[in-house]
Amino acid sequence: MKTFGILHVVASSLEAQRHRMNTIVSNMANMNTTRTEAGGPYRRKDVLFEVKEIEAGNEILEGVQVREVVEDNSPFKIVYDPGHPDADERGFVQLPNVNPLEEMVNMMLAFRAYEASITAFNTTKTMFMKLLELGKT
Amino acid sequence: MADSFKILEGLLRFAGRRHGVITSNIANIDTPGYRTKNLEFKTILDNSIIELKVTQPGHINPDGEALEFKEIEEDTGQWKDRNNVELDREMAKLTENALFFEASLTMLSTKIRMFKNALRRQ
Repeated sequence: MKTFGILHVVASSLEAQRHRMNTIVSNMANMNTTRTEAGGPYRRKDVLFEVKEIEAGNEILEGVQVREVVEDNSPFKIVYDPGHPDADERGFVQLPNVNPLEEMVNMMLAFRAYEASITAFNTTKTMFMKLLELGKT
Repeated sequence: MADSFKILEGLLRFAGRRHGVITSNIANIDTPGYRTKNLEFKTILDNSIIELKVTQPGHINPDGEALEFKEIEEDTGQWKDRNNVELDREMAKLTENALFFEASLTMLSTKIRMFKNALRRQ
């Protein structure tokens, strides 16, 4: 159904933004995780988007897809808490490099982009529906 | 008669393609390095609007496309990630283009209705 390929462009955007939202939620959930499978505290993750070409009719449109999930290499937060099981000999604990404020802002951005795509989807649908009514009356 | 249909078809095709371009812009709002694209009219030359005569081989062929359009990259300010999509502008363009599409569609269906009326026996 190449004619309706434009809807795939919108869908690709929704998918990518949802992926981003999932990553943000993981970051928020692991704000205080000090042990991971890889060892050490949890590292903040972020998604990288890239253009994905989608065929629509006889033209190529540009959708979006997640290229990769990258880890944030900024330093961990260091807190003095000698009672913590993961504290080092001097009593310092390394906490994940997640900043809740930053995550909230990213979440808002992802949500706005998601909303914009939904609007684009509805507009596209209305246009197709109107086109199908052509010549009926 | 057929010319106006051709023009209206051209308008619809233009609006349809522009819609695709705008949707692509919205989809790539967070893609690093993406440049905003737009579609613009190149020529509105058709022998139904202006009477054109071909006397030289280099002249524009009046039987060519009623409307030609080309994709351009918009050159506006950009964000830190070399992306220059501005959501507000794209949403405005999306709505504007949808209205344009609807207007063309209304013109076309009016045209069709006119012919239907003319063909109807009293």
